[in-house]
Amino acid sequence: MSKSQYLLLFRDTNWHRELSLNEIQEIMSRTNAWFEGLSQQGIMKAGQPLDGVGAEVSYQSGSVVDGPFTETKESVGGYILIEAASLEEAVAIARQNPMVPCGLKVEVRPVAEDCPASRLAKQKLFTVGA
Amino acid sequence: MKGEQVTAPAAGEIPRITEKLFRHEAGKLVSMLTGIFGITRLQLAEDVVQDAMIRALQTWPYTGVPDNPSAWLMQTAKNRALDVIRREKFFHDKQPEIITSLEQWVPEEADPKFDDEIKDDRLRLIFACCHPLLPQDAQTALALKTLCGFSPGEIASAFLSTEVAVAKRLTRARQKIAELGIPFEIPAGQALTERLDGVMRVIYFLFNEGYSASTGDSVVREDLCFEAIRLASLLVAHPVADRPKLHALLALMFMNGARLSAREDRQGNILRLKDQDRSLWDKSMIGHGLLHLASAAQGGELSEFHLQAGIAACHCIAESDETTDWKRILGYYDQWSAISGSPVVTLNRAVALARVHGPEAGMGALETVLEKGELDSYYLLHAVMGDLEERLNHPKAAEDHFEKAIQLTGVKSEQAFLAKRLKDCRG
Repeated sequence: MSKSQYLLLFRDTNWHRELSLNEIQEIMSRTNAWFEGLSQQGIMKAGQPLDGVGAEVSYQSGSVVDGPFTETKESVGGYILIEAASLEEAVAIARQNPMVPCGLKVEVRPVAEDCPASRLAKQKLFTVGA
Repeated sequence: MKGEQVTAPAAGEIPRITEKLFRHEAGKLVSMLTGIFGITRLQLAEDVVQDAMIRALQTWPYTGVPDNPSAWLMQTAKNRALDVIRREKFFHDKQPEIITSLEQWVPEEADPKFDDEIKDDRLRLIFACCHPLLPQDAQTALALKTLCGFSPGEIASAFLSTEVAVAKRLTRARQKIAELGIPFEIPAGQALTERLDGVMRVIYFLFNEGYSASTGDSVVREDLCFEAIRLASLLVAHPVADRPKLHALLALMFMNGARLSAREDRQGNILRLKDQDRSLWDKSMIGHGLLHLASAAQGGELSEFHLQAGIAACHCIAESDETTDWKRILGYYDQWSAISGSPVVTLNRAVALARVHGPEAGMGALETVLEKGELDSYYLLHAVMGDLEERLNHPKAAEDHFEKAIQLTGVKSEQAFLAKRLKDCRG
C-alpha cells in the first residue's frame, strides 16, 4: 500500500503551564526521543519548532490589516511532516506525542496529492523554459 | 525537532545541566519580566519563561548548550515576550513603554548593576506574592510556583493538600493580584513587618522541601535548600529586612544545610545522625549559622525559628552523638511545642524525650498525637514508633510500624532505609 504524507500541527503552547520544571524536563526528553525514533524509522520527513507567534495578516472592513490574532494558546508551536498508510495511522502516531496528555493539541492534515497552484507554477515554468 | 540534526551531547547530559540552571533562572527571569509587565501580568511572565526553557530543551540536545546559557534563556524569553505583547490588543495603553523596556534590556551577566536590579525584582515578587489580602496558603503556593518553578503537585505534598486544590488556589491568587492591583514593590514600615512573616514562611517551606523531599529517589534535594539560603541572604542584605527572626531562619538553614552531605552514603542510603561522619559537615556553613544565631539573639523575640536554630546548633557543635546536649535540645523542643501546637513538633519532641528519659517516655509523649489521629498517614510517625518499640524490645509492634512507614513514604531511599530496619527487627 502506498504511503501518503500528513502534516502534524502542534497547537496550544500553554500545555506546560501547571507543570514543574522537573516534569517539563521529563516530558521534553521523552518527546525528543519520540521525534528521534520517528526520524530513524523514516516516518518523519521534516519538522521544525516555530518561533514565537509572529504575525497574522487578514482583511477587515475593506483593507488589509495585521491581525486579528488567534489566542496565543491556539497558535502553532511546531510541525512535523510524516508518511503514513492512512489517516488512522497518522492519528495513531500523533496520539503518541508525550505532550498530548498535558494538553498539547495535534492537528493531523493529509497533504493533498496535487496542488493546483503549484501545478500552474510548474506549467508556467515549463512554458518559459520552452 | 529536526530529524537530520542528530549530533547531540550525550542525551543524559542535558537534564543534568538544565535542572539546576532552570531552577535558578526561572525565578530570576519571572521577577525581572514582572518588573517590566507589571504584576497583573504575572501569568504572562511565567509563560514566556517556561517557553524559553522548553525551547532550550528542544534545541540544546541538537545544537549543544550555548556558552552563556543564562543569557540565551533571557534573550529567548525576551523575544517571546515581545512577540506576545506586540499582538495583544487590550494591552495597548502601556504597550509602547513595555516594548521599549524589553528592547533596551541587555542580558549582560557581568554587569553588577543589572544583577542588583534582579535581586530587588525577586524580592519585590516575593513581597507581592505575600500580600496580606491573599490567604496565607495562597501566598506560599504562589511564591513557590513563580519563584521556584514548583508544580501544584509538589506544592500539594509540601502542604499535605491535593493537586487540584493547589491549582485552584493559584488561579484565584493570580486573579486577586490583578483585581486588587497589588503593587510590585517592597513595602515600608508596619506593612513590611506584616509581610515579612509570609516571606520567611515561603523560604522556610522551600528549605524544608529540599531538606526532606516528599517525592523522588533521594531524601535530599540540595538545590532547593541552597536556593532558600540564597533568597534569605538576599533578603537580609536589605536594610529593612535585617531582623533577628530572619537571622534565626538563616541560622537554622545554614546549620541544617551544613549536615546535608553527610545524611546519605555514597550509595544514596540514609544515615542516621549517630552513624554520620561528622567530618563531612560543612564547617564554613556552621560558622555562618553561628554568626546568624548571634545576630538572632539581639532583641527579645523568641520565634519558632530561634528554637530550631538552637536545636541545630546543639547538633553542630557536638563532637559525637554521645556528647550531644540532648537535655538542652529537649528544652528547646518543650518551648517549641508550647508555641506551635503542631503534631509534627510533638513527634520530634518525643524523639528528644526518648533520648533523655528513655523510649517509654517517648511513647508516652505520642499518646495525644495518636488519639487525635492527625499523623496517622505520616510515615515519620510510624518510623519513630517503630524505633521506640524496637528499643522497648517489642519486635512485633516495631515490625508493624516499619511496614506501615514503608507503605506511606514516596521516597525510594527512605523505603530502603526502613526496609533495612525491618529486616534487623526480624533478626
